[in-house]
Amino acid sequence: MLGIRDLRVSYGAIEVIHGVSLDVAAGECVALIGANGAGKSSTLKAICGIVPVRAGSIQFEGRDITNQSGHAIVRAGITMCPEGRQVFPQMSVLQNLRMGAYTRTDKEQDDDLDRMMDMFPILRERQTQAAGKLSGGEQEMLAIARALMARPRICLFDEPSLGLAPKIVAGVFETLAKIKAMGMTILLVEQNSMMALNLADRAYLFEAGRIVMDGPAKELKSHPEVVRAYLGH
Amino acid sequence: MLIEILQQTINGLAIGGVYVLIALGLTTVFGILGIAHFAHGSISMFGGYLTYFLMTGYGLPLIAAIPIALAAGVLLGALVEMLAYRPVRHANHINAFIVALGLTMMVEGINLQFFGHEQIVIPTTLSRVFDIKGVTVPELRLYVILSAILLVAAMMIFVEKTKTGQAIRAVAENRDAAILMGVNVTTIPLIVFGISTALGVAAGIMVGALFAIAPGIGEGLVVKGFAVLILGGLGSFPGAILGGTVLGITESIAAGFISSAYKDVIAFAVMIIVLLVRPQGLLGRAP
Repeated sequence: MLGIRDLRVSYGAIEVIHGVSLDVAAGECVALIGANGAGKSSTLKAICGIVPVRAGSIQFEGRDITNQSGHAIVRAGITMCPEGRQVFPQMSVLQNLRMGAYTRTDKEQDDDLDRMMDMFPILRERQTQAAGKLSGGEQEMLAIARALMARPRICLFDEPSLGLAPKIVAGVFETLAKIKAMGMTILLVEQNSMMALNLADRAYLFEAGRIVMDGPAKELKSHPEVVRAYLGH
Repeated sequence: MLIEILQQTINGLAIGGVYVLIALGLTTVFGILGIAHFAHGSISMFGGYLTYFLMTGYGLPLIAAIPIALAAGVLLGALVEMLAYRPVRHANHINAFIVALGLTMMVEGINLQFFGHEQIVIPTTLSRVFDIKGVTVPELRLYVILSAILLVAAMMIFVEKTKTGQAIRAVAENRDAAILMGVNVTTIPLIVFGISTALGVAAGIMVGALFAIAPGIGEGLVVKGFAVLILGGLGSFPGAILGGTVLGITESIAAGFISSAYKDVIAFAVMIIVLLVRPQGLLGRAP
């Protein structure tokens, strides 16, 4: 479904991704794990067209989407739930959710809105409140629901647990598991490697802008080097 | 005394309406692009001049000249965004600032070249004067106030209730997140400049009908527009509406009770006092 070949990304003169190749099949949940600054988030941003691709290609459902503008990529069916949640702080919860469906023209948006609020009852409760007034965990729920409102064919999650209390993180991963069970194709970037590997089908391990290991999540979870460096026990 | 205050409040509402329309355009542009669009006043006056020219040169009635001038405003705004500001969008902020100053001089020059240096007054047939319990309300002022309210309401409904309006807000609040929602951040500034300039043209027509248009009026108006933004709270729509109304009424009451020569002094003194108490503006959020 999504195929990346020899991706190179640089910020100014500094190259941060040195030729990364990865694949995500339809219905799969793939995790990108690794240390802070290894290039996981930059890979997601390159897919979404937020940072320019210097070399290599990104294919989505047989189409080349390399360096297309961000809004065209959303219309192609790729949505990202960004790092740090990035809700629209002064717009209401409801307005945030409707922004998620910005590219849609079908008549089922209100049904989806209802579905999201069933899934996240707190959002129904707070629907008229400004999104900036929600707690960090609630904002993460809003960001996830907003991403799903686009009815994407693949949903990218960038560090959904970042800056949240451990109890809230468990809730976020329960939600991701539910979304996975719904059949959504997921590409997840996460520093909490244990949580990510428990959820994902497959994973890629990033180190300094390169993929150094990949395979089924179960295998990575028991690989001595991964255990030593990232799972910490 | 009370009658006199009411009288000046009515007068202040008319000029306040003009300030609100100018300020709404400035605040929308500032919210989306972070640009202090100084040429806004001069372009607004161009709209006023154009209306006058359509009426006197082509014999169009006011009611026909206004929509043409507003449409010209939309077009002009889009052109300004495309030709003047878009090339410097990714450059240092000072570049857009210099473009704004240069554009102001250019538009002032164009106004002078095409419409001359004589002051002009847009002729209207709205000469009736209503007397409501001792307060005289000229028909023209009433129409100006009503049109301003109508335009502001239309703008609010557009921003709150339409998809494009919501996208404009989203870009202002978080540009990157708006891109992730699929908003085309190249066309949004075009739309914003089009609408803002049309609102400015409406204000220009009001100034031309209420008072007069002459070289330099537009520059004075844009300074007032920014004063309104600061007074109301930068980036706040309700703040711009409240700020413009307060500034208009303050000026009017100062002119009526003290001296019209000092109305600007008093208006700006009030602004300074408000900012001493509330540095974030009347409705601005505390940093």
